[in-house]
Amino acid sequence: MATETTTVTDIADAAERQRRLELKELLNKKYKWVDWKWDLVFWTTAVFVVAGAADITKQLFAGDWDFWTDWKDPQWWPVVTAFATIIIPSTLQYIQWTAWRFPTGATYTACCLFFAAWVGRYFQWDLAATYPMNFVWPASVVCAGILMDWTLMKTKSFILTSLIGAHVWAIAVWAYNYVPLAAFLQPAHFMDHVVTVADVQGIAYIRSQTPEYLRLIERGALRSFLGETQYVSLAFAGTAAFVGYWIGQFIGRYLAVWPIRRYLKTV
Amino acid sequence: MGKRFVLGSVGVLLVLAAIVANTPNVAAHGEAADEPFLKNMTTAFFNVSVSPTEIEVGEPVKVTGSVKILETWPHTLETPEIASIMPVVPGPVFVLKERFVNGTAAIGSFFAQKGGIYEFEMELVGKEPGDWHVHPGIAVYGTGTLIGPGEWVTVKPSDEPFSFPLTLLSGETIELSTYGGAFAWWWSFAGFVLGVAWILYWTTNKRTVTNLAVTVQLPVNDDAPDIGLITPRDHMWMNVIVGVTLVMLVVGWTYATSNAPVRWPQQTDWFTPEFISSGEKMAEAQASGATYDEASETLEMKVQVTNVIDSDIALTQLTMAMATFVNGPEAEQAKAGPSDFVGRLEVQPDGPIAPGENKELTLTISSSIFSEERLIPTQAPQQFIGAVLRFENGNDGHELVTVRSNVIPTQFRSTYLP
Repeated sequence: MATETTTVTDIADAAERQRRLELKELLNKKYKWVDWKWDLVFWTTAVFVVAGAADITKQLFAGDWDFWTDWKDPQWWPVVTAFATIIIPSTLQYIQWTAWRFPTGATYTACCLFFAAWVGRYFQWDLAATYPMNFVWPASVVCAGILMDWTLMKTKSFILTSLIGAHVWAIAVWAYNYVPLAAFLQPAHFMDHVVTVADVQGIAYIRSQTPEYLRLIERGALRSFLGETQYVSLAFAGTAAFVGYWIGQFIGRYLAVWPIRRYLKTV
Repeated sequence: MGKRFVLGSVGVLLVLAAIVANTPNVAAHGEAADEPFLKNMTTAFFNVSVSPTEIEVGEPVKVTGSVKILETWPHTLETPEIASIMPVVPGPVFVLKERFVNGTAAIGSFFAQKGGIYEFEMELVGKEPGDWHVHPGIAVYGTGTLIGPGEWVTVKPSDEPFSFPLTLLSGETIELSTYGGAFAWWWSFAGFVLGVAWILYWTTNKRTVTNLAVTVQLPVNDDAPDIGLITPRDHMWMNVIVGVTLVMLVVGWTYATSNAPVRWPQQTDWFTPEFISSGEKMAEAQASGATYDEASETLEMKVQVTNVIDSDIALTQLTMAMATFVNGPEAEQAKAGPSDFVGRLEVQPDGPIAPGENKELTLTISSSIFSEERLIPTQAPQQFIGAVLRFENGNDGHELVTVRSNVIPTQFRSTYLP
């Protein structure tokens, strides 16, 4: 009896090994009409769609927080930015992992977003509207994208990536952009007050329709943490990013892939 | 068909070109688009001055004046509690260097209330050459920015490029226009290079589109190293890129925090401005109705006035939103504010109001400001106007009295759309 079971298992294993060998052959199969040029066209044309989606999502949810140095505060900026920027990377991560087994979705989106954001800021805000670039530079999420893709590659799980990667994302977005922000947090004397360089930019470079009271500085209920609200915000940013990650997954699964699969002929 | 298509396309392009060519430059700030009640029932700007009106890049312009938040503030807006006074200009063509509200340096916003009078003084410095319309404005939380009278200011190019030196508490002086900008770019670009390296690794070493034929036959958590989808070599190189990313982060953080060892959170300061009185009590005024003739742009308002002091008083000005109308000669009008927003006020019967006297005055104003700035409602859910009357006695005393009146258009136009 035992021998019979072993034989069945062996046969099943052999069949699986054979199937995987066939898949390996399929992976390396030379197609007559589908070569690297298709890949190139695919990746380059997708840049604009992905960049647009990521930039619009960021502007929709993060808006002013990503536009001005004086809005990049310790309390709200890490939370809002982490949430707003993770949605489309999560979508692309789902698509690229399931379709090609590439852990590239977040990094690819981040690179596209870098391109769109800097082009937009330079041409629209610096050249056309004359706001200096050192006031309107966009946050970069490429570092966070690399770390989140790496998390997916190691865990091979969207659930674990959402639990670990989203928190890594929130911390990485803040930490990476704090590096250029640090210089703008130095105190200076201006208008009979001691304010940061970022505040001076916010006051001096006139925004007629963005009055100061719209900024959320020191507003909220984080009063009981020995002044270390930054770290509480980062913890919450991880949770917000987790939510954003699953919103992105929903978009990827039900708005992007599912409608396409309905029309794909499966063998 | 082809010829028709080409001709049609050319025609459409010509029409579009004609529209673009005939589009006037946008010279104002859209205040005319606001509903009349949003202007005349909310605030009144007076004694506004923008000077000088011709400067070079790097030279200052002073914007001074007062704004009163009216007691007639509409119930359809949130009650005014927080406000911020700022210059309204087409973007940062000037920089704001000084701002005082009721004598206090104002970096941010202040607590405001109905009936409050806020004197402002702002110093702008020309940054971009051009002709710019400069207004003062008051942004009120829940309502938006309400605009005062504006003046054209010409900023000529200068031999010296625009500069904004700022001294830090550390003693270092920085150039605010460019400080930290290059680093922000190169730092972000370095991250982008790492990201591109990550993408290129996968896209140049592996095929993309054709992978789908394999991945659809595997569970989603199978990275299939035996098949060749994600190999140990891939893991090794991705570990390298992640390692470089982390090293870069540590190096960048160390550099940034040692370069700027003292860092503060962004600052905020909301304050309660010193109280400014409407002046000594000298008149009681009650509007008893108004009419507006759209064809002649004429407003006529009846006001019942009682002199409550023991000397003669006279009505000298009526301010509505950003416009001031003066009961006096042109010399007096010239002092009342930017000329595009000043007009003549006719008072009947003219002359002083004696102590204790109660008089009905008829105020008549004919001005294109009404239509240009859309100050008078002619078919609105709130057919009211608000205004501030300035009474003066002979001893340099004055009082500002707010009145509110319904307004009836004398001409009714047929409308075919809602």
